Amino acid sequence: MKSHAAKSQAAKSQAAKSQAAKSQAAKSQAAKSQTAKSRTADLFSPPRSWKAGGVPPRPQTGGQVRSKQLWYAAVFPQLTEPESAAVLQRLCMHAQQFTSFVSIEAPNALLLEIKGSLKLFGPPEALHASLDACWRRLELPAHSATAPSTLAALWLARGGPPPAAPPVIEDLGALAGRMAELPIACTAWDMAHLQTLRAMGVTLMGELLRLPRAGLARRLGPAAVQELDIALARQPAPRRAFVPRERFRERCDFDTEVEHAAYLEKAAEPLIVRCARFLRERQAGVQKLHLKLRHRTQAATAVHLGLASITSEHRRLMDVLTQKLTRLELSAPVRGMELISGSLQPLSAASLDAFAAAAGGGGRDTAPQLVERLRARLGEKAVYGVALIPEHRPEAAWRRVHELRPALAACVGGHAADRGAGMLRPVWLLEVPLPLASGLWLEQGPERIESGWWDGKGVARDYYIARRISGARQSDGAKLWVFQERQSKHWYLHGMFA
Amino acid sequence: MLRECGGRKPKPTPLGAPEGREPRMGERQISSLGSILADGRVWKLKDASAAPARPVWSTGYGSLDARLPGGGWPTASLIEVLLDDTGLGEVQLFLPALAECQRRMEQGRTDAPWLVWIAPPHEPYAPALAQQGIELDRLLVVRPDSATEALWAAEQALGSGVCAAVFLWLKGTDDRWLRRLKLAAEAGGALGVLFRPERHRFESSPASLRLLMTQGEHATHLDLLKVQGGRPGPVDLGDP
Repeated sequence: MKSHAAKSQAAKSQAAKSQAAKSQAAKSQAAKSQTAKSRTADLFSPPRSWKAGGVPPRPQTGGQVRSKQLWYAAVFPQLTEPESAAVLQRLCMHAQQFTSFVSIEAPNALLLEIKGSLKLFGPPEALHASLDACWRRLELPAHSATAPSTLAALWLARGGPPPAAPPVIEDLGALAGRMAELPIACTAWDMAHLQTLRAMGVTLMGELLRLPRAGLARRLGPAAVQELDIALARQPAPRRAFVPRERFRERCDFDTEVEHAAYLEKAAEPLIVRCARFLRERQAGVQKLHLKLRHRTQAATAVHLGLASITSEHRRLMDVLTQKLTRLELSAPVRGMELISGSLQPLSAASLDAFAAAAGGGGRDTAPQLVERLRARLGEKAVYGVALIPEHRPEAAWRRVHELRPALAACVGGHAADRGAGMLRPVWLLEVPLPLASGLWLEQGPERIESGWWDGKGVARDYYIARRISGARQSDGAKLWVFQERQSKHWYLHGMFA
Repeated sequence: MLRECGGRKPKPTPLGAPEGREPRMGERQISSLGSILADGRVWKLKDASAAPARPVWSTGYGSLDARLPGGGWPTASLIEVLLDDTGLGEVQLFLPALAECQRRMEQGRTDAPWLVWIAPPHEPYAPALAQQGIELDRLLVVRPDSATEALWAAEQALGSGVCAAVFLWLKGTDDRWLRRLKLAAEAGGALGVLFRPERHRFESSPASLRLLMTQGEHATHLDLLKVQGGRPGPVDLGDP
């Protein structure tokens, strides 16, 4: 028993020793390779499937391997850099009739995810053909390809017009084979990389794919290898979907220079009409509009239109614009104008009223409309509401409200119930209490208000409802709200019961 | 049937024309006596006791209600209040009616109507108004730069159809503007109240109701200078 224990102990110690030696050897080896690996290993790691099994994934032989995504790429060789951005945005709108996911690939390509659209538009070949037909209708030469990965589709499309039908690849297994025939220029990598590859004798993608990954990563950087992985659908490549522009922006130029602001109103009307249609189509509204009036030499005059609530109504937009333009003093003749909407906001159901026009006989306004017309002429600050603040100090118990929201009603109503109990408050409150000299006839009071020690504006006052005594008559003049400072014993006038 | 209501010569009607046919383009509109009398611009002196077509708001003062045609403040019209000093309870005259109107309209329909105060002499004190039952989120204060702007704002607010009442404080204005305000008030169905100094007492005014407020020995004196469809004279305001 003992000997067995000793033996096992010896075996254990030996094992520990050998393990230590092993780990040391491993460490030294790791240290050696560290210098070589560190540049690439951290940045570039092989795909997970390789890591787990230690071997590259076996091609699945039983039937086709369908990927989860299918990408359609269209390359427009005629588009060049500066103006291509705007054209591509418009092409995106066209493409969005087939799929909701369209991404712009600078400088001259579009990528569409079409897997989700197959149910509606038929097999990939049919969808591919109808997309191609879309470009043909626009008389825009385009090369296209469909592949299970973003970059593969793009590279295949860049490969130029194929001999026969444009490539539609659904099978993941066939992807590498089809890509092998492409020239390396399809990748659109920078010239230095392509030169390096050509110097290595690599001209086709097939040759490129056969190169060892580590060496390729060292020569071209990890990004290039990552792109190859993306192209072979071993790595996902998220793309940013194109979202249609969220602003209305349109300009119009005049044939002659306009000197009177009154004429601008007529000229701006079509812009407003188009803006309203633009908003209506998107179920959106705006709360701000900017009108830029361009002059020959001077900087453009900016006119800001503010609306009391989010709207897309042509009449309301026009109403505010008219008010602004009639008040506008032109510093120079106007050559053209540009209407830019503020950010679009979803139109709430509350602001739509199908019967508003019918009920009001067409001529009636809504409250926001009245507010914004008053504001357009008198200024933003000149029109306001008032709200309560739960506070004992009279001067701090209210505030001006510039945002007119019906949501305020609930909290205000609650306070109103509480307030009913105390002493009557005056309708007018003086902003600064006036010192009082003459005699007073105190009718009601006192109500002691002592508060606000925490913010340095503390008050300690006794409030009375009073009438001023003048001459022989006992009580004469207005009903006043007065207080006596408890410290100084001075009297002040703070409000009037109007 | 009244065939003609203008000063122009009547156009002879063809004898065989059927009575109830549709008027053709260019033909004069034939209006009935009833529709003319229903027009707010026609002033019927004899019929003052009958309730006017427009609703009225009780003032909250029994003695004042008794003197006003219909028994309250007329809506869709212009009321002029002449006073020299603020603080005579001039706003208080209208607050109970406004609170009642807002409450009633809110119960009956979706939205309470708006109150617009244009160029008030001091800041309207929110707690006081809340105490009186005014819905503060339906109150709009407008501070224009000039009297013309104030009148324009009042005309817009009165004619907009979303306001129950528009209060306007002015130092002075001319008759033409007052007429515009009156028309706007009638079109928008709102009550326009104009506060002016007492010196305008002897000027003509299109307002359907003119009140003079002066400070008496113990209480405010209220004098009805002009009451359309009623008798002018002093009113003793008791407790509301």
